Amino acid sequence: MRLFEYQAKDLFRSYGLPLPKSIRADNVQGVLDAFGKLSHPVAMKSQVLAGGRGKAGGIAIVSDAAKAQQEAQRIFDLPIGGEKPTSLLVEEAYPHDSEMYLSVSLDRGDRSFVTIAAMAGGVDVESMAGKVIRKVPLEGIDERFAAEVATLLKLPSSQSGQFVKILLSLERLSREKECELAEINPLAVGKDGTLMPLDAKVIIDDNALFRHPEFAKLHPEDEFEGEASRQGFAFVRLGGDIAVVGNGAGLVLSTLDLVGDAGGSPACFLDLGGGAQKDRVEAALRLVNRLPGVNRILVNIYGGITRSTDVAAGINAVLASGAVRPIYARVSGAEEEEARKLLVGTPVKLYGTAPEAVDAVVKGA
Amino acid sequence: MMLPKKGDPVLVQGITGTYGRLHTKMMLEYGTNVAAGVTPGKGGQSVEGVPVFDNVGDAVRESGAKASVCFVPAEFTYSAGREALEAGIRLLVLITEHVPIRDELKLVQLAQAKGASIIGPNCPGVIIPSQRVKLGIMPAPSFSPGSVALYSRSGTLTYEIAGQLTGNGLGQSVAVGIGGDPINGTTPIEWMDFVQGMENTKAVVVVGEIGGDAEERLARHIQKSGYRKPIVSYIAGRHAPKEKKMGHAGAIIYGNVGTADSKIKALTGAGVKVAMSPSQVPQLVRQSLG
Repeated sequence: MRLFEYQAKDLFRSYGLPLPKSIRADNVQGVLDAFGKLSHPVAMKSQVLAGGRGKAGGIAIVSDAAKAQQEAQRIFDLPIGGEKPTSLLVEEAYPHDSEMYLSVSLDRGDRSFVTIAAMAGGVDVESMAGKVIRKVPLEGIDERFAAEVATLLKLPSSQSGQFVKILLSLERLSREKECELAEINPLAVGKDGTLMPLDAKVIIDDNALFRHPEFAKLHPEDEFEGEASRQGFAFVRLGGDIAVVGNGAGLVLSTLDLVGDAGGSPACFLDLGGGAQKDRVEAALRLVNRLPGVNRILVNIYGGITRSTDVAAGINAVLASGAVRPIYARVSGAEEEEARKLLVGTPVKLYGTAPEAVDAVVKGA
Repeated sequence: MMLPKKGDPVLVQGITGTYGRLHTKMMLEYGTNVAAGVTPGKGGQSVEGVPVFDNVGDAVRESGAKASVCFVPAEFTYSAGREALEAGIRLLVLITEHVPIRDELKLVQLAQAKGASIIGPNCPGVIIPSQRVKLGIMPAPSFSPGSVALYSRSGTLTYEIAGQLTGNGLGQSVAVGIGGDPINGTTPIEWMDFVQGMENTKAVVVVGEIGGDAEERLARHIQKSGYRKPIVSYIAGRHAPKEKKMGHAGAIIYGNVGTADSKIKALTGAGVKVAMSPSQVPQLVRQSLG
């Protein structure tokens, strides 16, 4: 679960990390009130989860109230990656000479956590030159570890003490809150040499949330994603017109590719999970049937633990209850013959292979 | 890695739960010798005729099992896995989804220290058709004995592709789901090196998906090590959006890391034939076998 910047900064503060003064505002008037309480100039930052916020125009630096009002309105109205902000963070701008990068993150390939630090910030970490990467033990790091990173960065002594404190806090936060990523980018170096985190990015390990109930309900959930999650479906909204439903994440992912290759546009990814019974299939179909923009439904099932007959019964239950968008189905594997018999004579269009079903649903035939 | 042979005793952890029961039955039906089960507090019961023990130590002592299939819920997977590894289990198959990353890392470190192997978590397990050994939840009819080794980061795609291979007369020497999480108990490179040593394996099928750089690392390893068996791959997620978890915890593109295009490019560059859909896999395998 990725936190919004303001949530990540609240977490940073609770771990004693320094931050510029900031106030979160839910509307333009709130931005103006915040502007009145802070010293100028301020940075106004769109609170969205999508990346590339600065480039997309989601940040403005302003010094006067008229400009603040105009820019606040613009940023509230600006969707970034399809997402409009529900709040802006208004923050005192921090004058600085240079920027650094610092993070603690999971290195999947090395199967360990690492800290990455560099004397350049603000840019993509992949393209960063001269970065220092050190493996972080699961039990945590000590002052000596952090001081070694500072030495490798060739930080002047006036800054290395501050750096050590910041890295120790960031690592402790990452470990205790079970983050996949805790990142400060940029970590500004002020005119007087003071280190100051300007942005905060935190991704919590979803699978560890049961140990961290404090993060539950932090996000305003999309209505459909909320319902899917309560039903235990893996679900992602995609914005096209063909709802894609199947059993197994890899199979649904592969079905999206077939649809995309055939020139179609998926409306969503919905994985029923293993062993789905009739009522779960029914619930999934009802959910995608209500999704705005959907005009066809593609069901791709490879029966194994999931029985094709259960899927067919679920489809029939939805059909029996009335209006449903056209369903194109490929049902194969365990009990596929019986499943086909259940669907004969219904409006469901049945296909023997995934490519055939995809071809038909994309053409709308 | 020590894969069980026909008749070798196998343990099931979490045997009294819904999934534990169901899959114990199905593993027994396939031919796996499920010799003991473990559920704390349920010792003395039996499931499908398999005796249940309170702890792994007792179950191992009574059954002689060296392999365990674990269905224990995610909150308890770490302690169950640790118990198994400390009791001398050499192959631990973790079926459970939603295990926290740090729990996975701790188990991987413990397995390394003990010289044991982990498959999973968040996986369908492993099947060796010629031995009638199945440690996991895959539907048996999709698989048949043969000389193609298959590994996948996805459960259903394993079944789908195994089913297509089987339908085309291409049986499998072994098929494994390594897991859909960011952390795999057995990495693709470890698995591929193991399969290279299997005499009855003539070709390898690698089923990857978006997220991480495991396939890119594998491609470098194939080139550097001069891998000797033909490899066919399929990578799911060419049309997936960035920054979205596509079902599996590990199937997510961050920035430019983890795209299908990058993986396909790396594998193709290493001489791997990459299929554009699961249904293309059998014909590419046939071509590569000459």
